[in-house]
Amino acid sequence: MEMSAPLFKFGLFGEEASLVVAFAIGIGFGFFLERAGFGSARKLVAQFYLTDLAVFKVMFTAIVTAMLGVTYLAWAGVLDLSLVYLVPTYWGAQVVGGLLLGAGFVIGGYCPGTSLAAVATGRIDGLAYALGIVVGTVTFAGLFPWLGGLYLAGSAGTKTLPEVLNLPYGLVVFGVVLMALGGFKGAEWVEARFGGGGEKERP
Amino acid sequence: MTIPGRWSRLSLSQRLARVAFALGLLAVLARTERGRVVALDLKELATIIDREGDHVGAAEVAGWIVSGRADYRLIDLRSEKEYAAYHIPTAENVTLSALPDAGLLANERMVLYSEGGLHAIQAWMLMRAKGHRNVYTLRGGLDQWRDEVLFPTLAPDATGEERGRFERSVAMARFFGGSPRTGDKESTVARVPEMPKIEVSAGTASAAPKAGRKKKEGC
Repeated sequence: MEMSAPLFKFGLFGEEASLVVAFAIGIGFGFFLERAGFGSARKLVAQFYLTDLAVFKVMFTAIVTAMLGVTYLAWAGVLDLSLVYLVPTYWGAQVVGGLLLGAGFVIGGYCPGTSLAAVATGRIDGLAYALGIVVGTVTFAGLFPWLGGLYLAGSAGTKTLPEVLNLPYGLVVFGVVLMALGGFKGAEWVEARFGGGGEKERP
Repeated sequence: MTIPGRWSRLSLSQRLARVAFALGLLAVLARTERGRVVALDLKELATIIDREGDHVGAAEVAGWIVSGRADYRLIDLRSEKEYAAYHIPTAENVTLSALPDAGLLANERMVLYSEGGLHAIQAWMLMRAKGHRNVYTLRGGLDQWRDEVLFPTLAPDATGEERGRFERSVAMARFFGGSPRTGDKESTVARVPEMPKIEVSAGTASAAPKAGRKKKEGC
């Protein structure tokens, strides 16, 4: 079969059409976040109290599903994996940014995507959070001349697990699947231990 | 108990978990790379060339060097002697024949240049065939670098827009040890100016990163 994906890289649609595609994917993403119950800060924060690990389970399921899909599409010769965009590693920015995002998640009860899902369902706390994102983004842009060093610190290029671990691609895929299944098992155990079916989520 | 019998007693998530396990196990055999035999995608290459996605301009590379960008490698394909005489600051010397075995990573962004640009274009093709995707050539090679960055020329009958562009290129030319020239084209082109000495340490003189990148991919 002829390689034809990523669709954008093969010029199957242009810049403008890509925005429409991105919009449609975004709506789909928001829809499934909301359906999983992630439009509610209660549900999201429950994972930090170890009472409900749905966030972990849904996100890891999404990762495994996408990973298997991409693997099989590449194996079938439809998708050229080497053309898929990878976010380059910047240790400084990503470690600091990750910690900030985690802290914000615990305090605010949302991550950026879920806060927008919350706004869409009319939640006031979601709106406050989304406004915070706007203020934070503008502040960051204003302070960029001072933060630029951190932004680019620890540049390590694009790294993938098969390269770093020097293992065959398929083996890493299997490893991640095992990790996910083990994680789900562990999550169920944690929920039974700490959750006890107690606090039910209120709409 | 029969296998269908057992299967029907499982919950949906238990079934999905088993499917994921089976797919993951099978994926160990997956061959996701194109292998050693080169299969060039002609349509893809033609698309890239057609959209001018195979080269970068001299002024753009100059901007990258000034801002201290480190997410690409600038590669001088000329001989060691020519490289020693002059090279663009931050460039490393890898001759065309040494290029295939130079240990460059497939995901590294690299900008190739030669004197006039023809060798660089040939090298671009070689690197594409080797599976490198992030390869670009310096448009017009070192000749263009000389005319556009080191010694920009302002014709006497220049329009306002051309003058504006020239003003901006003056600082860039001085930074790289060149000098802007004014006068009509024939007289300046006739005598090729001396290339500057290569003691310019451009990497350290970086200011705050510029918004030089045209388009950012991803999120």
